[in-house]
This record gives sequence, structure tokens and C-alpha cells, in this order.
Amino acid sequence: MRFLTIAFKDLNIRLRDRKGFIMMLLMPIILTAILGSALSGMFGESGSLPSTTLGVWNSSDDNLTEEFLDQVLQGKDMKAYITLKKYADEASLRDAVERQQIDVGMLIPSEWGEGLTKGEVKNVTIFTDPEKELQSSIIESVVTSFVDRVSSVYFATTVVAQELATEVPVSALVSDLPSITTDLANQLSEVVASDVNFVETEQDGEEPISGMQYYAAAMGVMFLLFNTTVGATSIIQERKTETLARLMSSPIRRSTIIIGKFLGTFYFSFLQFLVFMIATHYLFDVSWGSNLLQTVAVGFAYSIAVSGLAMIIAGFIDDEKTTDSVGGIGVQILAALGGSMVPLAVFPESLQRIANIAPNKWALESLTEIMSGTTWSALSLPLLVLSLIGLGALFIGSLRLRIK
Amino acid sequence: MLEVKDLKKSYGKKAVVKNVSFTIEKGESFGLLGPNGAGKSTTISMICGLIPYDHGEVLVSNHSVKKSPMLIKQKIGVVPQEIALYPTMSAKDNLLFWGKMYGLTGSVAKKRAEEVLEFVGLKDRAKDRIETFSGGMKRRINIGAALMHEPELLIMDEPTVGIDPQSRNHILETVKRLNEKGMTIIYTSHYMEEVEYLCNRVGIIDDGEVIALGSQAELCNRLAGGSVIQLIVENKSDEAIDAIKQLENVSQILHTDETNQLEVFVKNPHDRLGEIVSTAVHQGMKIVSVDIKEPNLETLFLQLTGRSLRD
Repeated sequence: MRFLTIAFKDLNIRLRDRKGFIMMLLMPIILTAILGSALSGMFGESGSLPSTTLGVWNSSDDNLTEEFLDQVLQGKDMKAYITLKKYADEASLRDAVERQQIDVGMLIPSEWGEGLTKGEVKNVTIFTDPEKELQSSIIESVVTSFVDRVSSVYFATTVVAQELATEVPVSALVSDLPSITTDLANQLSEVVASDVNFVETEQDGEEPISGMQYYAAAMGVMFLLFNTTVGATSIIQERKTETLARLMSSPIRRSTIIIGKFLGTFYFSFLQFLVFMIATHYLFDVSWGSNLLQTVAVGFAYSIAVSGLAMIIAGFIDDEKTTDSVGGIGVQILAALGGSMVPLAVFPESLQRIANIAPNKWALESLTEIMSGTTWSALSLPLLVLSLIGLGALFIGSLRLRIK
Repeated sequence: MLEVKDLKKSYGKKAVVKNVSFTIEKGESFGLLGPNGAGKSTTISMICGLIPYDHGEVLVSNHSVKKSPMLIKQKIGVVPQEIALYPTMSAKDNLLFWGKMYGLTGSVAKKRAEEVLEFVGLKDRAKDRIETFSGGMKRRINIGAALMHEPELLIMDEPTVGIDPQSRNHILETVKRLNEKGMTIIYTSHYMEEVEYLCNRVGIIDDGEVIALGSQAELCNRLAGGSVIQLIVENKSDEAIDAIKQLENVSQILHTDETNQLEVFVKNPHDRLGEIVSTAVHQGMKIVSVDIKEPNLETLFLQLTGRSLRD
């Protein structure tokens, strides 16, 4: 188990490097905060109704109209979005719309509510600011919906009363008909005022993710990629200072050293991922999805990929400066290609296909899918790809690894 | 203890070690002396099993390095030329790490680390990071790391490069004590005086070949001319050099066109000095300085190769 000693030694050395550790953790947190806040508009996170100030001139003083204003427009569901202002006449209402003091104006004609109970539909007039079409459409829908309900009650009551009058002997009905009709109308009135649609809505498809969520995943994935350079540099430094040669002159196999070095990078990467995940969750309230095990599995597989790539860089490059330059540029290219800078969806299709070569693309895609809700079977391909990238790179890197 | 037979190593067409052979007995302190690039480190690396040899054989306690590398590595302690330590780890953590690489665990490793720190005189700095140490202290821990598993054979590759005289003396004393305790030592250096101080037997290596091998006394007896009179002159001429060569007891003169230095190999140098100087002056040379070097490994190397050890 001497490979574990080598791996923990590497982890220990990296944790002692406070500057490096802070850079690897603090930088992604800062960038997540900046990018997540600045670019949140690009994401489908604001799905609520826009707040609307509605001006009303009500020339109808019946109960149903009052009920519409108090129970529907200012009911518990709509109150959060609609602020109601009452006006004394049509002119002042129009003036308020023109001055943009209110978003939408509504003129309720006299005896509007009473008319509805008799099957007479009088038109409500909506004054619209051209810049607030969405708000005016919402108000129009609410009015239309209310009118439809009341009309339905009126027609249902009428039809039932007529049917009863036709089918039941008059002697049996004559004394009860008015009360039956009134009871029916009252019961249906409750339906009119009710905010229950009798339709249960459920989220269909994936949860939209916020900008903060996206950039937490993107920055986490991008900064984990820097471990390819850090891991490779560690091996090159060991080669330069001859600690690698010293390891080789001790009674341990070459494979033990290689696995130890690989695990050293892996431990740090995985730890960095977990710490970053916890930090962003508590600092920015980032939800990493409902299935924590899936997130951890992606972090695990991605850390394998990153550690393998570190070995391949150390196998092909001899000095630290070249590693830093090549690694730095490589990480930037992969980060851009893999969607860490800008979401991959905005890229042309051909570029999205090329992005499949970037391990961070697989990791980022998987993490955002987990945030939206996904299945283990959907994750199996990226997990396999990431693991194979890591193990393949480890194999090639170890063949190329030189001691001196 | 160690037998090296006809060892050869080439990189491409360049042969860097050519038929090197020597043996070292248990408890012996053997010096491998040669200038930089002579092939000392390559020979050492092959003995350690670090790089494979093309031809020949290395036997440690009658076990082949090729056939039983793990067994032999366990018997050997290697002090590399570089400070092969982890600078951000403490001295003690470094020792513990290298001890674990040789199979030491738990309390055994800790106890041994304490002993080694005591031995190299750095017990009070056990918890300090290596990066805070002076060059000499780093070198001492570098040696300590090789001592953790109490090897039978300690191989030291230029362990005093780039350190102050005080630290150098400390290291030499440490090596001497280890040898006195019975540890077999191979000490490579291009500092003749270190090898002279520490080693019972010496192999002189140049251009990948062992050009002289034996005890110090045996090697000095090989010096045909005895001592060397070193002259720094002006107006050097071939006629003057030829005239000195004709003098009695002068066996050889080494000089190059680039310098004004003459190395005159001569028996009884104190008796012959006056005649040599007057001949040189008579031939038109101006004497700037005169130095007599007694027979030693440096003069032997000079005679054998025409170059100084530190060229």
C-alpha cells in the first residue's frame, strides 16, 4: 500500500501550499459569484408573473363586481403580482396610463356584475400602455376567465330550472322551484369566486437552472481542469529534484509510484470538487440537484479524467515552464470548448460535436443535467467516457514517464 | 559485498560507461574519483538499479541487480547528488516518508527518524520545513533519508556539492563514523581531498573508464615521476620546455597552448627545483610562480589524463 503513502504525501504537500489552494478554491468561487449574477438573464430561471399595477374605474356597484375586485384580483394568488388602484373617472384613469403611473387601466361599466348574473355580458374596457402588453394580456385573461365562469353558472341555473319546470308535475314543484333555483345559483356562485381550477399542474420536463447554478458547475469544472497542470508539474518537479529517482531506487515498483502520483492528483481534485460544492451551496445557495450521489459520482469520474491527463502531460513534457504555458492555454481552450465560459447551446452544431473531446464538457453537461433532474442511465455514458479518458491517459502517460 | 563486472552503457552511439569493473569488500569505504561527466553517476545509477546496463553484471551480496532488484534495493541506501527531499515538508516528515518507502511503519519508523535526526545533528530542527534549512543542513537530511532503513551499502553521489566548509566537514565526519560502525560505503566525488580522507580504496574514472584502481598508497606509488613542480611562466617556448625535459629525474611535462602553466613531473623535487628554474630562465622564460605538489590522487589523475580533476 505504498502508493497510498505517496498519494497522501502529494495531497499533504498541496494542502500546505496555501497560496495554491486558495487560488484553486477562492478563484472559482469569486468567478461563480460574478458570472452567475451577471449572466443570470441568459437562463430560464424567472418563470413568475410580472408585477402589475392595475388602475380601475368601477362604475358598477353590485356585489359580484366587488367580489371580482376583492376575491379574484386581490385574492391570495394574485395579490402578490397585482397592485390595485381605484380611480374616480375615466379621464383620470386614461391619464394615469399615459403618464405610466399604472401599467394597465380597466374600466368596469355600470351594472356589469348584475348583468352577468342575468346573462348579459357588458364589455370591460382595458387601457394598455404599448410597452406593457404582457401585463395587459394577463389582466384581460383574468377578466375573460371570470366572465366565462359567471356565464356558465347563469346558463346552468337557467337550464336546470327549465328542465325541472318541464319534467316534474307542477303541483309538486310549484312551492319549491324558487328556492331550488336560488340554492343552485348560490352553490354555483361559490364556484365562480373559487380560485380552484380543478386542474392539477405538474412540472413537465426538466427544472430550469439558474445562472448561479450553471456557473457554479462551469467554474468548478474549469478549475478542476487546472489540476492537470498542477499534477503534471508535481511529477516534473520530482524528476528535476531527483525525488522521483530516489523513489525508483527504493524497493517499490514503478507501477506503485505511478499509481501513487495519479492518486495524489485524484485526491486533491476530488477534495477540491467537494469543498467547492459545499462552499457554493452555503455561500450562494446553489442547488447541485436532488440526487447528491449522482453529483459526487460525476465529480469522482471527472477527477479520474483530470488526474489521468496530468500523467499524460508529465509523460510528454519535460519542464515546468512549458507545462505551465501549455497547460494554461490548454485549460482555457478546453474551458471555452466545454461550455465553462458561455453555455454550449449558443455554439454552432459542428462546434458542439467537437466539444465531445473535452472532458469538462461531459462533466459540465452531467452536472447541469443533475441540477435539472436526471436518471442514472442518462449519466452512465458521461461517467464511462470520463473514466475511460482518465484511465487511458494514465496508461499512455505511464508508458512515457521518464525518471530522469 | 559488491562486484561490478565489465559494465557498459551507451546512449545512442555514445558510450558513457566502458567495461567498468571493481569489487568492494564488506565494511570498506570505496571512493570513485573523477571529473564531472566521467561516468560516475551513471555507474552509480546502474548499481542502484535505476538505469539498466547494456552489458556486464552487478552483484550485491551475490545477488544480481537485474534478477533481484527489490532485494538489492532494500540493502542499498542512496544519497543522490541533488537534494532529493520535499521542501515544504518538515525534516521529520521527510525521513518518515522515505522510511515508509523502505517498509518501516508506525513506531519503528518514528523511533528511527529520531535516531537519524540525532545522528545528523538536526534533532532540534525536526519540525521545521526543509525549505527553511541552509544548504548544509539539507545535505545532512539528504543523507539521513538514505540511512532510515539502516542499509548494508551506502552509495553517496557527490554529497558535498555546493556547501560551506563547516557543513562539509560535518558530513565527512558523519560518513567516517558510519564506516567505522561497519557500513560499506561508495563515495563518488571530484574532490580529491574528500576521497583521500574517507576512502580505503579508490577507483579513478575518466571518460567512462576506470583508469586506476587500488589503495591510496598503491596509486601514489604508480606515479613514475613522483611529485609535480607547477610553474607559471611568461615567454613560454618549445625550446625551453625541451631543455627542461632533458634534465635528470624529469619524467614528463604537461602544458597547453592556452595557459602559461607547466606541470613538471620529477623525483626529488626539492633537489631539482633550482636546476629547473635556472634552465627555464636561461631559455628566456620569466618565472611568475612556483609550487611543489606532493604525490597524491590529483597528481596521479593529472599524469594519467593530462587534465585536472576539476577541469
